[in-house]
Amino acid sequence: MILKKVIKMSDEVSYSEAIQRLEEIVQSLERGGIPLDETLTLYEEGAKLLEFCQQELAAAEGKLNEMKLADIESKLAE
Amino acid sequence: MRDGYDLTTGPIPVGQFVNLVRNTLRHDKLFQNQVITGEITQWKRHSNGHTYFTLIDSDGQISAVIWQGRCAIDPLIEEGSVVVVIANLDLWAKAGKIQLVVNKIALVNKLGILEERKKQLITDLRNEGLLDRVRRQLPTIPKHIAIITGSGSAALADMNRLIENRWPGLRRTIIGVMVQGENAPSEIVRGLLAASKLSVPEVAARLDCPPVDLIIVGRGGGAPEDLWAFNLEPVVRAIVAAQVPVVSAVGHESDLLVSDLVADLRASTPSNAVELVVPDYDYHQMLNLSLFERLDDASKRIIIDWRNNLQLLQSRLLNAPLRGIYNANQYVSDLANRLSNIVAGRLAQERQQLQRFTTIIQLAAQKKLADETTRLAVLDTSLNSSNPRNVLHRGYSMITDKSGEVISKTGDLIEGQQIILALADGSAKATVDDIEKGDKNE
Repeated sequence: MILKKVIKMSDEVSYSEAIQRLEEIVQSLERGGIPLDETLTLYEEGAKLLEFCQQELAAAEGKLNEMKLADIESKLAE
Repeated sequence: MRDGYDLTTGPIPVGQFVNLVRNTLRHDKLFQNQVITGEITQWKRHSNGHTYFTLIDSDGQISAVIWQGRCAIDPLIEEGSVVVVIANLDLWAKAGKIQLVVNKIALVNKLGILEERKKQLITDLRNEGLLDRVRRQLPTIPKHIAIITGSGSAALADMNRLIENRWPGLRRTIIGVMVQGENAPSEIVRGLLAASKLSVPEVAARLDCPPVDLIIVGRGGGAPEDLWAFNLEPVVRAIVAAQVPVVSAVGHESDLLVSDLVADLRASTPSNAVELVVPDYDYHQMLNLSLFERLDDASKRIIIDWRNNLQLLQSRLLNAPLRGIYNANQYVSDLANRLSNIVAGRLAQERQQLQRFTTIIQLAAQKKLADETTRLAVLDTSLNSSNPRNVLHRGYSMITDKSGEVISKTGDLIEGQQIILALADGSAKATVDDIEKGDKNE
């Protein structure tokens, strides 16, 4: 039963795990033959996973810091 | 004096003679800037900064000195090393000792020695189990990459360009270090340490960035000796000790370094490292989008299917032939009636209840009001009847003494006492003439 495997959204979930679970959900929905309420639950879980994946993609964006070794060492020592 | 000693001038002092020899040696091109090879023995780095040793082979030996700062001394040189020196021959007059003053020194077969050491290091690491240790897993999407390499190097420029192609604006910290030369090993180790510190969430938070989750350490191609820092034990051990996955990205495809053997991932070149660890932004966006579309389509299809099924059911119900006591329509309308009856009944009940409550409250209020009115009337009556003034109107009077104390018994009177008579409309002073006690004992 696909619902039994619901991933708890927490820090431990990696992007790749989320994608894998999404693929499972989408495949089982595509196969069909699922009760209506389970469909809605799966859809909700899928939507949450997608939101998480989008956040992960956005989180990789940031500054480019280029520092000399001594500079970064003194910054870390602050 | 070139023709030997002159008997007429007497013997030459030895010091003068030795200096004569010294001058001769120092001016003979044969003995200056000569390239000499031999094995090192009695290698001694003196505390005064100079280095003393003897160069030897099976046929002879000669003392040698490297004055402090005269030339770089390879740290690999040690007792027994075979070296080539470029040196001037000199004579130390005070000791009468001939020695080589070295201008340059280099190991013979340095690469051979290095290779030997590298082999030994690999053997040691294998014995410690570090070559087949479980590798740390690389993040699918690195949120903060630390790149340790030569600042301003071509390798760094290549990496930056490739990263921007694959994932524009990917967060990274570049730690510029020496990647060759005497200081390279220690700087690379310090760079790895700094990157590891940046992987600690609290430290990263203090610097307002997510923790480093991947380290790339490397440099572009070069001569084997130039890459050698990545074969040295301190660098290799620092890679093993790092807190997050480390990618070794040194030199060209064909260079295999010890850092490659212990890293969590070996990249053949710095550019290759980027290809291996930096995902393609467009690919992941497309993946997300297609998963969303499939999720949406599949869910919609299921919901539409269910709706169609319901509609079908409904029409079948409507057209169903009479069966049993009710046909479907009757059954439904009966249900509807019952439902509306239930609703209506419930409403009426509520209204009645409300009406009952209102009546009870009104009655209670009226009763309370009536009670209070009665109570007031009673109070008024009793108040009126007990007011002594009302009694005076009926012809009685009240006697008090001078202090206003009421006198009601003959026992309270004395003959000749002054009393006050209170009447309905005023008062009068009187004097007691005679007291006549009654038979009432009060």
